[in-house]
Parts: sequence; C-alpha cells; structure tokens
Amino acid sequence: MTEYLIRRILQSVLVLFLVSVISFALMHAAPGGPLMVLLPKSGTQAAILQQEKNMGLLDPLPIQYLHWLGQLLHGNLGYTYKNHVPVGQILWPTVGNSLILMGVSWILSLLIAIPWGIYNSTRAYGLSDNISAAIGYLGFAMPAFWFGILLQEMFSLNLNWFPLSDMHSMNKQGDIGDLIWHLVLPVTVLVLGFLASYLKYSRASMLEVLHMDFVRTARAKGASEKRVIYRHALRNALIPIITVLGLDLPILVSGAVITENVFNWPGMGRLFVEMAFAREYAVLMAISLVSTVFVVIGNLVADILYAVVDPRVQLGKKGGAAA
Amino acid sequence: MAEPLLEIRNLNTGFVTENGIVKALDGVSIRIDKGQVVCLVGESGSGKSVTSMNVMRLSDYDGGIVLEGEILFDGRDLLKLSQEEMRKIRGNRIAMIFQEPMNALNPVFTVGDQIAEALYLHKGISKEEAGKEAVKMLRMVGIPEPEIRAKQFPHELSGGMCQRVVIAMALICRPELVIADEPTTALDVTVQAQILDLLRNLKEEFNTSILLITHDMGVAAEMADRIAVMYAGTIVEEGTVEQMFTQPLHPYTVGLLNSIPGLEGARGTELYTIKGSIPSLANLPKGCRFHPRCPFATDRCRSEEPPLRDVGDGRRSACWYAEEVAEKAKTVMTTAGEGE
Repeated sequence: MTEYLIRRILQSVLVLFLVSVISFALMHAAPGGPLMVLLPKSGTQAAILQQEKNMGLLDPLPIQYLHWLGQLLHGNLGYTYKNHVPVGQILWPTVGNSLILMGVSWILSLLIAIPWGIYNSTRAYGLSDNISAAIGYLGFAMPAFWFGILLQEMFSLNLNWFPLSDMHSMNKQGDIGDLIWHLVLPVTVLVLGFLASYLKYSRASMLEVLHMDFVRTARAKGASEKRVIYRHALRNALIPIITVLGLDLPILVSGAVITENVFNWPGMGRLFVEMAFAREYAVLMAISLVSTVFVVIGNLVADILYAVVDPRVQLGKKGGAAA
Repeated sequence: MAEPLLEIRNLNTGFVTENGIVKALDGVSIRIDKGQVVCLVGESGSGKSVTSMNVMRLSDYDGGIVLEGEILFDGRDLLKLSQEEMRKIRGNRIAMIFQEPMNALNPVFTVGDQIAEALYLHKGISKEEAGKEAVKMLRMVGIPEPEIRAKQFPHELSGGMCQRVVIAMALICRPELVIADEPTTALDVTVQAQILDLLRNLKEEFNTSILLITHDMGVAAEMADRIAVMYAGTIVEEGTVEQMFTQPLHPYTVGLLNSIPGLEGARGTELYTIKGSIPSLANLPKGCRFHPRCPFATDRCRSEEPPLRDVGDGRRSACWYAEEVAEKAKTVMTTAGEGE
C-alpha cells in the first residue's frame, strides 16, 4: 500500500511537469500579451518593447519556463503583471469560493441522486423514474448559462426572492445566512447538471446489479428486500459510481466556469476567464497546476475507494485498480 | 416413505412482458416425498428452472405470474403465502443451490459471512455464533482449513470450492427440501463427481429431500429416486430411475437416453441428436407438443394432445402409444445407429 502510494505520487509529479510544460507553451502561443492590456493604447512600439524586455517576456520560452519552474520550486507562484500582486493572494480565496459553491452543489446532488437512483432502479419506468429521466434530459440539454439566466430573471428580477449575483451582500461578509441566500440560484443550476448524469449512473448501475445471480441467492436465502438492496446490491453498485465521482472531483475547484461567470461568483472559474483576457501568465499557470493536482488527487481517491469497496481490487498488484 | 413433502399440482405459470403474458409452464405436476431425490430432466427452455423459481416464489421478482395450480409444501400452498411469509421458508425450510457458483456468491462479502447470513436471518442467533457454525459447515462440505477459507472472498476460491460454499449456505439451516438447479453444469467433470457425492452424503446425513434439475441423464441416473422428464413446459414422463432407463415410455425420453454418448460405439459415428428444436409455449404445435420431432408420430398425434396418464407401476406418460414405445424404440435406435 505504502509502496503503491509512493509510486502514484512519483507518477503524479511527472504528470504535473508535463501539464505545466504544455500549459505554458499553449498560453504563450496565444496571440497578444500582457502589455497590450496594461499599457495605454498610445504607448509607442519602442516603449512596449523596452517594457517587455524588462519583464523577461522577450527571453526564449524555455528560459522563461525554467525561470518560472525555479520560482515554483521555491514555493513562489509569481506575481501579476498588473500591480505586482503575489499570485497566491489572488488565487487561494477563489479556490475556497469555488469549493464552497461546487462542494455544496456536489454533495447535494449525491444526496439526491444516489437514493433516488436506487429507488428508481427498483421501480423502473414508474412515475418517479420517468420524472428523473426528464430531469436528466433537461440537465443534459439545457446549457448552464441559459438556465442560469432564466433563474435570474424569474427568481431575482421578477419575484425578487434571491439575489441576482455575487457571493455576499454589501457589508455582510461572513454572514452564513446571506451566503446561503446567494448560493441558492447557482447551486440549482449546478445541481441540475450533476443530477443529469448521477441519476442515470446510480440507476443504471443498481439496475444491472439487481439482475445478478448473487442478488437471487440473497433472496433465496430469505433476506428481506431491504437487506437485498442495501446490503447485497448497493455495495456492488457503488463500484462504477465511484469511478465517475473520482473523475468529477477536480471540477470542485476548477469551478464551473460558466455558472461562476453568470452569477459573478468570485471563484477560480471566473478568475481563469478574467486572467486569460489579461494574459496574466503566472495566474493561469497556477490555476492549471491547482486543477491538475486535484485531478491527480481525485483519481487517487477513487482508486483507494475501489479497494475499500471491492475486495477483488488490491492496490499495487498487477491487474489492480492502477491498470 | 410415501409422505409427500412437496406436491406441485397442475401448475400453469408465465411471465408478464410488454407483449402480454408469455406462458412458461403448462400443467406441471410433481410430487416429492420426504427424503426422496427427484430429478427434473429436459433440454434448455423446457421450463425446469422456471419450476424451481416458482416453488421458491423468486419468479415474482422477474415478472412471473401464476395462472393456475398449487404448490403444496408440507400441506401449505406456497402460492397463497405473502413474500413476507415466503421469506421465513426460503433458505430455512427450502433452500437452493445454483448453477454458476462463481456468480451466485456476492463478490464483496467473505464466504463465511455469506454462509452465516442464512443462519443469522432465520435462527435468531448472534453473528459470532453464526460465523462459528459457518466454519463447521465449511468443514462438513469438505473445504480444508475452513477457518481460513471462511475469511476469504469468492474470487479467492476455485469454482468447485465456490459450489461447496453454495451448498454449505443452502444446508446450514437444515432445510427439508433443497432445490439444486444444474449444480454441476458449470464445473469440470472430476469436480462434478465430487459435488454429486457430497450432495448424496449430505442428503443421507440430514435426510433432506432434493429436487435436482439437470439436462444430464447421467447425473439423473446417479442421483435420482424418481425422474420427471419435462418438455415445452410440461411433464411428459415420470417414473423411477430403473423404469426410465430400462423401459422408457415416451419417445422424448428415448431420445434423451440415446443422446448420452457411450464409450462402446465406434468412434467417428455421429452422435445421436433429437432433430428439430423445442417449441416456445406461445407457438405450440397442434396435437402432441413433441410430434414434430417424434419419429413415431401418427395422425392422432398431430391432431389430439395426449394427457399425462397413469401407465401402471406408478408411472405416468404423455404419449398415445406409451405401451408400444419400448418396442418401437428398439428399431429406431438400431436404424439411427446405422443410418446416420
């Protein structure tokens, strides 16, 4: 187990390195640069060039990359071009904000989707199952920005029940009630998106397991239907669901770019868009690194959960979860 | 001896599908006495497994419905019981052994836990005690080092071992009736013999009745007191093992017996097969349901359906010419051996 973890962590370092190289290259391949945003339109070509030279933007890309990497290894994520603010100071609060929005939506979706999916699997094509299928289609088909705008118009502009956007009202930072009030609409948008897939996964996975021989064995043994479903079937049905959850874990921080923008939520998704327009390379690199770290952690957590749920999976052995 | 434990009377069942009810059993009657082994023999699709699922009332979960008939177990009609009441009987007084032992066990629980569960569910004893009993039971079904095996998961055991576990699970509550649905089909030949031996010994020890479902006449010969031959959802012949093997009274039984590959015949001669295939109950031929495949079919067979009737010596056959089948069979068997 320990050996397995060490190997996975070493692999992760390699993944992080590759991702950073690719992100760096792609970012610099995009036209324009930070100065086109920063300098007044009247700036002369010579002034821009001089400035770029001072900022190291004229160095060859590999040199720039190594410089960035060197700083990173010293724990320094860099500074913004504008106002020279440390990247961490901008980034970390948005990670937290995204985590709040996405975490609430995610956990809520799971609390709804797994029990409901199980219920539907035992009554396939019943009323409840059809309603959940309709929600699924809606969630898949309706773009988040469109649903978000609809909710804003209806519940904020017309009915005035919920705030239009942002995370806090003026001067109400740290007020939990106020935060929840602001969460309702964006969480609704995100939950619908999650539900679309999670309802389907949990229902399908459970439905498949319920037709397996060992379920019949459990019934033949005289187990109650409740015991058959929650003890014998559920643990088997969770195995594929865990895969999906593990893959989805990273979006908890990388944030819902679209939803955060529609609701002006100060999360990492919105930060990414802003910083991309401003060509704040250091911030963008930091965001891509944080996202990658979560992808790696998500996969690792999923693999470990596999081993917890399924005795056939033994971490670190050939044919195990790592394969 | 002649005390009936299970009596299935004129059982008609089917399944509800999108296209209406599909019939599965068409007037099945079987009787199993206490301590008796009855084999239900027939090819795939003849309704053997459906019969067992109906007795267990497990078909309820697969859209099964009972159209007519009764299943008397120890005098009580199982078909009139609620699932709640059935649950107290299942695994306790009637237990089941399944075809694919690897799939019949839950992959995420230890085999010890799975065996103990039946005991824990029915006898109201603690999990620890049930666990100890499970280990004893594992030893009884011939698993070495049962203390260690009990803590293992199904994937750590071989197919034969898994079937022993399934048998242990079925027998731990000392049921009066065990339904074994093709218990050896998924196992290789040497293991098959061991499992059959085990079943026979345990049957003697606990005086259990067994309803053994198989498509293999060899297995039936080995195990059964009586044999009931099923074809297209109904019983076509019934009698003791000796009667069936020495003098079959239904052409289908003759065909089944001829289909057992022997060691005597010259190699290279084609194996005997019953031509054609089993009809679905939605599409039964007029007259005798076996007549399209029967070498002796007459006009009467093509128009009138023969009932399952007593033909003496406690035997039943559903053939108009039951009394003449043996005589006719001899000629067919010899010509089949030469001609094909």
